[in-house]
Amino acid sequence: MEYMTPEKIVELFKEKFNGSIINSKIEIKTAGLKKNNYSLIWIEIEVKDFKEAVNLLCTIQFPHFSIISDNDIGEEIKLTYHFSLYYGEKSQEISLNLATSLPKNNLKILSITDLIPGAQISEREIKEMLGVTIEGLPDLSNIFLPKDFPKDVYPLRKDETGAVKMVNKEEEVKKVE
Amino acid sequence: MTSISLFEILVKIIGAIVIAFLGVVIGLFYKGIDRKLAARMQARVGPPIRQPFMDFFKLMIKENIVPQNAVPWIFNGAPIMALVSSITILLYLPVGNISPLLSGYGDIVLIIYLLTLPAIGMVVGGFASGSPYASVGAQREMVMMMSYELPLVTVVVAFGWKLSQVYPHLNIFSLTVINAHPIWELVGPLGFIGAILLFITLAAVTPGELSKVPFDAPEAETELAGGILVEYSGRNLALFGLADAVKIIVMTSLTVALFFPYNISHLLALSGAFALIVDTLFFLVKIFLVMFVEVTFIRVAVARLKIDQVSFAYWVPVSIIGFLGLMLIVLDTIIV
Amino acid sequence: MNKKTYSIPIGPVHPSLKEPMTFNFEIYGERIEKVNLAPGDNHRGIEFMGRQRNPIQIIYLAERICGICSAAHPFAFCQAVENAAGIEVPERAQYIRVIIAELERIHSHILWAGVAAHELGFDSVLYLSWRAREEVLDLLEYLTGNRINYGIFMIGGVRRDISEEQLPRIRETLEYYKDIYGKIEDIFLNDPTIAFRTKNVGVLTKEDALHLCAVGPTTRASGIKKDVRQDQPYSAYADLNVEAITPDVFSGEVNGDVYDRIIVRLLELVQSIQIIEQCLDNMPSGEIIAEKKLVKLLNQLKKAKGEGVGRVEAPRGECIHYVKLNESELPEVWKARAPTYNNLMTWVPMLIDQQIADIPIVIASIDPCIACMDRVTILNKNNGQKSMLTKKDLHELSVQKTRRITP
Repeated sequence: MEYMTPEKIVELFKEKFNGSIINSKIEIKTAGLKKNNYSLIWIEIEVKDFKEAVNLLCTIQFPHFSIISDNDIGEEIKLTYHFSLYYGEKSQEISLNLATSLPKNNLKILSITDLIPGAQISEREIKEMLGVTIEGLPDLSNIFLPKDFPKDVYPLRKDETGAVKMVNKEEEVKKVE
Repeated sequence: MTSISLFEILVKIIGAIVIAFLGVVIGLFYKGIDRKLAARMQARVGPPIRQPFMDFFKLMIKENIVPQNAVPWIFNGAPIMALVSSITILLYLPVGNISPLLSGYGDIVLIIYLLTLPAIGMVVGGFASGSPYASVGAQREMVMMMSYELPLVTVVVAFGWKLSQVYPHLNIFSLTVINAHPIWELVGPLGFIGAILLFITLAAVTPGELSKVPFDAPEAETELAGGILVEYSGRNLALFGLADAVKIIVMTSLTVALFFPYNISHLLALSGAFALIVDTLFFLVKIFLVMFVEVTFIRVAVARLKIDQVSFAYWVPVSIIGFLGLMLIVLDTIIV
Repeated sequence: MNKKTYSIPIGPVHPSLKEPMTFNFEIYGERIEKVNLAPGDNHRGIEFMGRQRNPIQIIYLAERICGICSAAHPFAFCQAVENAAGIEVPERAQYIRVIIAELERIHSHILWAGVAAHELGFDSVLYLSWRAREEVLDLLEYLTGNRINYGIFMIGGVRRDISEEQLPRIRETLEYYKDIYGKIEDIFLNDPTIAFRTKNVGVLTKEDALHLCAVGPTTRASGIKKDVRQDQPYSAYADLNVEAITPDVFSGEVNGDVYDRIIVRLLELVQSIQIIEQCLDNMPSGEIIAEKKLVKLLNQLKKAKGEGVGRVEAPRGECIHYVKLNESELPEVWKARAPTYNNLMTWVPMLIDQQIADIPIVIASIDPCIACMDRVTILNKNNGQKSMLTKKDLHELSVQKTRRITP
């Protein structure tokens, strides 16, 4: 199998989504006595091209999807999808973190479960914890939160819809019957 | 049979009560020993030997819960049916030199019918509890019953046929007769191998009959959370526990009566009451050894089988061994 | 043919599950037609709690995500923070971390072996293997002071050194496991009843494992050579030669069934012993922590800005933590993902078309570690309404109870 260097992967992304890449960086980390290094790629991309970027990733090698991490930064919610490429060979793996920001007034993102079925649970978690609408996600029941959890509380948000209310004044929260 | 006097009936009734009591006590005691030995083999300390008694008394004072979906009279009746039918079999089994209390009223064929009754009691109780786990357990118990019946009957038929060849005038299915004429003395070398195969067959049927690992699919703790017994509590569970303890005695006594009916009193030149005591003690030792091999040892040495595997095991390998044993005994007789 | 199926619930509490999790099965006869997973019975909101604590407090919270992966989670978290803040870990600390992580793997895999045997109704093996596990727990207690939740990880290194005097004790335990391994392998791989129950049961194809992003022994048993220790060696693993173990090493073929998962875990036991030995032989001397004073470390973290990912191969598979620091006392984001999270989806293809009897062992075969929020539900009997006990109610109830027992 041919391996692309991290620089090449970033170039490939830049070529394809010229305008949409907000920023990108390559991090080199070392470990152990021999100071062997491994690299991580951080790419931030606009949401309109996000699905295409995952698609491009799938053409390199079927990526291993780890998780979506979330960050509520005031007006936007930033989602970072953690992938890894080139697993199966010693010291060849590259971690690729693909981030995108969704404005709070339009929390919508396309589901990637048709490309990577393993992402389903993580997408459902994002949906119920942050209230992001995942378009094209098949199964819509709550996965971690109780079935009668209030619909307008999203525990991992940091604004007024967050779980702070739940912790201190639970009797004020309206439950789903 | 002549007319039965009132006195005889009274003796039978008292005898039945005594045997039932002894059967239960010895059964629970043996269950305790079984648990202790199994624990020791698994590198554990294990419960004290009186634990089954403590369990029984504790369960008797606990609340008896009947689930909403259950049919109460069947649900409550099933454990009684299981216990009574197990105890009834005891009355037909010889202990050492003592012939069975009800000898003359039934034979080994009746015992085989009676043996299915505790199992049917559990199946009925399982279906009546209205729980999916219990229903699955009851289905499995039925499948298992149908599976082990064939090898069990093969063993009995082999005995009957052999006895009918040697002593055509006797009641060949009577346990007293089988007890008096050990199979090993009737057969030649081929038949001897046959008899060993029959013993293996019976030893394989015993854990199935008692629902012990590897044939405990109906109760399978980790899959069905106790299966048939899942909804039972309090008194009813205690009765099932007793039935289980008595069934251990029944199955081991059956093995002893069929294969090891020897006594030691005449070797020690004892007679009268001493002979009776020594033989009874020897009988208890024999059923203990049989229990150790057929129940305790197998239980700790293997994993649980799936129900289709259980069914296959009984229908194919165990049945083949049983038939082989039967054929060897037949061949032995024909050749000699 | 009109098939009439019935449903069987397994969980939230069931003898075959060691942690709460709900499954609903549609069964036809004894065969499983449909599986519905409903996790979340044990969601404790740990990430939410973590985002209100400083990084050093989170280490101890991460340790308690799971009682068995209590080295993997703090390991991954510390790495994430170190990557985010740019802290270099001293080499000696890297080696000690690996030794603890590998000891944990030994204890976890033997624990799993015992549980698997119990699910199969083979209780003797459960007791015997758990007795063998005691030995490594004792060693962990000797090295770290705790049997589980070791409390040895710290941002920038470890809190306790492994001294010269402690080495013989470690080697003794390793010898014990080398000795006993033959027996364990013999029981699991040669016993006919275990083979009956595990071969061709719960098959996960290579394709499914790949698409569902399975991790750890689950994916390796399906023939994907994926192991963070090999793919992206972190810490002292970068110096060692770790190779992902697939079942064909032992049996020459990959079936992806439960039996293969047993093979992989058992072989990893041997691998762990070898890794620890290599670590002991090559351990460099020097510092064990980058910054000894916790106040100073906290101040440094308060000023740090950046994001970092920590990936660790936990006994169950890849464990990943993401931390973002933003010049404040609390981390802006802490995301933790346990391996079972990814393996959850693999249950569905594994369980379809199997029998009821296979449920416990298939569920156990991915070694689930269901670490996930809050509250107690009680059913009000009078009006049949479901109501939750809030934190306030629970507090009141416990006060009442205390008054009852101590008048």
